[in-house]
Amino acid sequence: MPALLEIRGLSAGLRGRRAVTQVVSHVDLDVQAGEILGVVGESGCGKSTLATAIMRLLVPPQVLQSGALTLRLRDGAVFELLELSESELRELRWRHLSYIPQGSMNSLNPVLRVGRQMMDTLLQHGLSSDEAFKRSVEALELVNLERKLLDSYPHELSGGMRQRVIIAAAVSMRPALIVADELTTALDVVTQRQILQELAAIRDELGATILLITHDMGVVAQVADRVAVMYAGKIAELGTVNGIFETPLHPYSQGLIGSIPRGSGQRVEGLPGEAPSPWNYPTGCRFHPRCPKKFSPCQIQAPALLPQASERWTACHLYDAEVGDDA
Amino acid sequence: MPDLLTVENLRQIFGGRNPTHAVDDVSFRMPAQPTIVSLVGESGSGKSTIARIILGLLQPTAGRVLYDGADIFKGDRKWNRRFRSEVQAVFQDPYSVYNPVYKAERVLKLVIRKFGLAKSKAEAREQMEEALRTVDLRPEEVLDRHPHQLSGGQRQRLMLARVYLMRPRLIVADEPVSMIDAGMRASFLNILQDFRDNHGISTLFITHDLSTAMYLGGEIIVLYQGRIMEQGDTKIVMKAPLHPYAQLLISSIPTPDPRQRWKEDLSDAPLTEIGASGLSVAANRDRCLFADRCPQVMDRCWGARPKLEAPNHDDEMSARRDVACYLYD
Repeated sequence: MPALLEIRGLSAGLRGRRAVTQVVSHVDLDVQAGEILGVVGESGCGKSTLATAIMRLLVPPQVLQSGALTLRLRDGAVFELLELSESELRELRWRHLSYIPQGSMNSLNPVLRVGRQMMDTLLQHGLSSDEAFKRSVEALELVNLERKLLDSYPHELSGGMRQRVIIAAAVSMRPALIVADELTTALDVVTQRQILQELAAIRDELGATILLITHDMGVVAQVADRVAVMYAGKIAELGTVNGIFETPLHPYSQGLIGSIPRGSGQRVEGLPGEAPSPWNYPTGCRFHPRCPKKFSPCQIQAPALLPQASERWTACHLYDAEVGDDA
Repeated sequence: MPDLLTVENLRQIFGGRNPTHAVDDVSFRMPAQPTIVSLVGESGSGKSTIARIILGLLQPTAGRVLYDGADIFKGDRKWNRRFRSEVQAVFQDPYSVYNPVYKAERVLKLVIRKFGLAKSKAEAREQMEEALRTVDLRPEEVLDRHPHQLSGGQRQRLMLARVYLMRPRLIVADEPVSMIDAGMRASFLNILQDFRDNHGISTLFITHDLSTAMYLGGEIIVLYQGRIMEQGDTKIVMKAPLHPYAQLLISSIPTPDPRQRWKEDLSDAPLTEIGASGLSVAANRDRCLFADRCPQVMDRCWGARPKLEAPNHDDEMSARRDVACYLYD
């Protein structure tokens, strides 16, 4: 089955006075219909840039450098996202593609009632006001909120409720793909759990596909079907959630999973060193300065994301038969 | 020997006509021996307010805080100076505590100068390098840099190096790891354990993240709407929480293991009655404040506030903890 969203060779960067600094480099990724795909990595690894590039919402100095994004809807419609005009995109966003940016629960307009803000977008997409009202109420129910909330102002709601309103607005047009960036980062554990479980229920009910961007390995382990581990603007490893957590192949995935503080008693060491910034991405494998298993080719040659065992792709010379110790 | 810290019937009420009870009759103690106590709760549980009171930044509405046996709000100048050097704070945001125009070095130099820690430049340098090594930073990587050239993890460890220079007895750390990357969290927490085990420094660790509290060990205090629901040995409480709120909180931790996913689905559970500010809006406080959300609520839960006391069970799991719930009366 073809992927819902096919990302090919996607690169994005920051335009400086002299040159463009690449932040996201040649990302290839298939987002399968109906899955929750978790994208994890440390801060500054390019997760959010990837999300905004997919939404075509990069703002200067961010620039899209190259790549292709193909969205294939269930009804057979195919969109080449990077070739659409701004007005075509506006038609597509919200209806087929929704985006929940980081911190968006604080982006509600404080002087407008929640209902007005939810319905605005629906009206903009040509729904009648009756329809828009009906859709808004339905969407609120999906996130466990009552319809009377439509009459409240954002400041009357708790953080968890505001985040739910944002999710409800994002799903009110029943989009095929929802890109959620750090959806629950500022919330308490109980609220986080409820919202993530609501999100999974929305996926089941609407058959939506969710790209969940987070730095929290716990969140990914709880709700994702597959995981893409990002490091310094590239995908380091991709696989099923069970596979990645049980047998991480890439030394970065191993370090990331190994450095999670778990139950008391066993002491874990943090991942040594710091993630590089886009201005000084190392040559060869970008992880090699921190890698405990580096060998000669790692400084010179960038590893390609290659298929390993079933449903697993890893970008590491350790698993590339063609790169030997003498390479 | 008096306790390091004694918090007695602390109350903090904000506002006039619709008062918010941020802290509602909280008592606990930290012994003179080095320990780590974690204060956990959701936003609005009062944990940061308690931290601010203990640091002397906020006068409580009622109750007392004793440090080394003396009321922290009644000390003379000399006592206050001692208190300020022996009790140190580490705050949440490692980005906003630094002055961006000065090099990292200055953070350490200022402390040495203000408290007269070194007699010569060479001695000051030696002390700075030792403090940095204690927190796993390499002096040459940090001292000459400006704050924006350091990562969040490095900045937060630099704060610990500054604290270490003072050789305090108590660190009050308010959400110190919530803004640093997962990969660096463990090393920050390891330093706090080292401080306790090798340098006699206790920590009051305030967090909403139960997994870090679990990693730290020591004692745990679970707060809800300004009250202590359960307290005791971290390992025991995390393994078998007694209070239904502690049970809900601990079962909601996103365990980083896809084979241990959340069991019950809460996507249809009633939402919490917490208002916009995140603070409690419950008007009647003469009851268990968790009663509206509690799956095991009984009639008496609405009548009077449950006392925080040792559970009336005769087994090992009940030992060394207190719980404020009528189920264990």
